[in-house]
Order: sequence, then structure tokens, then C-alpha cells
Amino acid sequence: MIPNPLALIAELTHRCPLHCVYCSNPLELAAVSSELSTAEWIDVFQQAGKLGMLHAHFTGGEPLARPDLAQLIASARGAGLYTNLITSGIGLAETRLQALVDAGLDHIQVSFQDSREGAANWIAGAKAHAHKIELSRLIRQHKIAFTVNLVIHRQNIDHIEEMISFIERLAPERMEIAHTQYYGWALRNRAALLPTRAQLERAVEAVATAEQRLAGRIRIDSVVPDYYARFPKACMGGWGRRLMLINPSGKALPCHAAEVIPGLTCENVRQKTLEYIWRESSSFQRFRGEEWMPEPCRSCDRRGDDFGGCRCQALLLTGDAAATDPVCSLAPAHLIVESALAGTNSSDTVSQPVPASSFVQLQQLSSELWSYRKNPD
Amino acid sequence: MALPEDSSQPRLAAGCRWGAEKKIDTGLERTVLFPEGAIRLQGTGLQILERCDGQRTFGQIIGELQSQFADADPAKVRSDIGQFLEQLRHKRIVDY
Repeated sequence: MIPNPLALIAELTHRCPLHCVYCSNPLELAAVSSELSTAEWIDVFQQAGKLGMLHAHFTGGEPLARPDLAQLIASARGAGLYTNLITSGIGLAETRLQALVDAGLDHIQVSFQDSREGAANWIAGAKAHAHKIELSRLIRQHKIAFTVNLVIHRQNIDHIEEMISFIERLAPERMEIAHTQYYGWALRNRAALLPTRAQLERAVEAVATAEQRLAGRIRIDSVVPDYYARFPKACMGGWGRRLMLINPSGKALPCHAAEVIPGLTCENVRQKTLEYIWRESSSFQRFRGEEWMPEPCRSCDRRGDDFGGCRCQALLLTGDAAATDPVCSLAPAHLIVESALAGTNSSDTVSQPVPASSFVQLQQLSSELWSYRKNPD
Repeated sequence: MALPEDSSQPRLAAGCRWGAEKKIDTGLERTVLFPEGAIRLQGTGLQILERCDGQRTFGQIIGELQSQFADADPAKVRSDIGQFLEQLRHKRIVDY
């Protein structure tokens, strides 16, 4: 018997006011015209509750781009789910925040790009930083959980202590320090984002020190960069084991980037129930369990801990979704990751934010370094 | 690990709340939901957390459970409960 899924990741839309260069959304964004309707989402949340799921994570793109967000939160909460909004905060002011809290929002997670305004807006490709600070103050007037998420990469890692102190002043219960994961736009921009080993080691030490200092006040959850790890991450807690992601147009995915896997037919909630998709669909069964595993995973003691790593990363880097995740030091294709790291560690250029008067100008000035995330049609 | 002050009033932290409950052989199992996770509680753990209502003090909670578990060493009851709550505080599930 397959255990129930624990959480639903609801990607409400791929529209976003930010253009973050490390965005993990796919390069092929879901078109606005294909988005699920309010009634379709409400049905999804009701099914999720009945299936025994505990959490609904509202994400995107920017979930606030959906005018029906409060209604969707209320329906998820009504179905017994714990509701979490992952947001840039753009589009959220006092009245709307109050409406979301009234609808039953339990937890809000706001991402910051940096502690320094110029650098933060440069990474986001939008003037968002000052608004986020103001929003954080408003959030603390409500009795909901508040997490600040900080994405770490080559351009900001050297002042990680300053960023942690900055977040501390925003007074969240939780701080998530997440090294960039190389999917979607982040993979395209990897050369400008992947930190050096020396940068990483210093940052890990700084986070450990902060964890001790803040213990009991702010909990730090950190996501290590898997390129530098000896073993891969247990992506999504294992394929089809804990999580189900619904993308803006209703496709049910076992992992954020699963759409890139050739030959994987993902069911749509417009046609199939969540229960069918979880228990019966070929996509959720494809890499569930150990049958599919190649060596060295198949006989590895760690196969029950990391499940062979991430299938999408295996595909993106080796071209084979069933290969051992190449970040694993035991993987036959580990050389691919080693050569990316060798490139990074032999060059020491760290770029600086460029002042620009418009997004178009910013794009032009930074075009040698990276591509900004686009918006869907 | 430091224990809570007797006068402190433990409560669920902001954004942490009770979720579903179900009957099990030994009584009731209840769930506490929090950001990115959930814990299922039964038995003593449940009895402790149900008393963390922001009204009772740590001293009162200890007293109630010491008299309920009169056979157990009172000092051990105190330190076990204190450590349990301190762990939950570090996870930002309980505040005091």
C-alpha cells in the first residue's frame, strides 16, 4: 500500500513581478490562458484534504497575481490543510494581507535577495527590496508564522553574516538559507551563481555560528548546495513518496522540473483525480521504489536515504533521467559536476550590481553575466 | 539544556496549531501542524502540549503531571517535560 502524500505544492501561476536569475521555474512557463480556474483549484484542495494531505504550499510564479488567492486559501484551510504562502510580497499591502489572514493563512514565507538594496534589486530584476522590508513589519502584526527565505549564490555569499543580521531584524520565527539549486533559469545562469569552495566553506561556518547565537529565537533551516556534497539530496523526499506538485495549468508533477523528462506523461487534474494520479498514474510510479535504480544506487546502503538523488537533475546534466544523480561522488557521470566546479574554482570574477534606470537597461547591462527570468505569454 | 522558568507560560508559537485527531487503541492521537511539518502526539507528549495554552505556567503543568504520575520520580518528570518543551521551542513550535 502506497502511503498518502503529505503535502500539495500549488503553483498557482507562472506570472511574477520579479525576474530572479536563480528562479527554479521551467524555461517553458505555463501560459496565462491555460491556468486552472478558481473552481478547479478548490476541487483540488478538497481532494487533497480527503487524501490525507496536511500542507498546502501556495507558490508560483507569484501567487498574489491570482485575484482569487484569499478564496483558494480559505478552501484549502476548509479542507483541513495547513496553508503556506510563498511570495515575493509584491502586490501585498495591509488590506489584502488582512484578507488572507482572515481566510485562514497559517504561514507566510517572503524571499529576500540580499541585505543591500542595490544588489537585491539587481538579482530580482525589479525594485522590490524596500517593499519587502515594509511588508515584513506588517506581517509581524498578525499571529501567523513568518519565514524569511534567502537564496545564496556566488554574488552574495561573501556577506552572509550581514544578510543574517539583516533578517534577524525582521524578526521571523524561521530563516531559510537556501543555496541555489540548478534547475530552470538557475541552470542557465549557473556560471555566475555557483560559489567557489572557499566561499562555501566560510558560509557554512557563518551559518553554524548564527544557528547557535539565534537558538530558541529564530530557527535556521539551511539547504546545502548539492554540487559540493558527497551524496545527493533526497529530492522531494523521494519520487512519489511525500509530495505532489500541481502546475498552473493543472499538470500533476512528482518534482518541480519533472516536465522536462522525455516520455514522462504527466496527468492533468482536469482529467484525473488526485487519488488516481498518486496511486495509479505511470508518472508517479516511474521512479518510485527501487526497481528503476541503476548501479551504483541499486546496491548502495544510502538508497533508502537519498533515493538516488534528483531525477530532473540527472536528466538535465546527463540526458538520462534514470541515471544516478551526477552530484553523487559515486555516480558514473560525476565528472560533469566536477568539471563545472573546476571552472568555477579557477575563475575569481565576482560581478557587482549595475545601476540601471529601467529593466530593459538592466537586462542589457547584465546580459553578459546572466539572463533574467521572463514572464509567460 | 536550560529548562523553562516556573513562571513561564508555554503556548504554541505563532502559526502552529492543532490539526486532525483520530482515535487509536491507547486513546487519542492529535496532530500539531507547523511550517514545513507536523507532529503526531499521543500519551504523555499529548498531555504536555495540551496544557501549553498560554494560561498555565510551567510550574502548574509540572505539578499537574507530577500528581498524575505519582509513581514517577518528580525530579525526572520535571526535567523530562522541560527538555521536551525546550526542544519544541528550538524548533519554534512552542514559545514561552
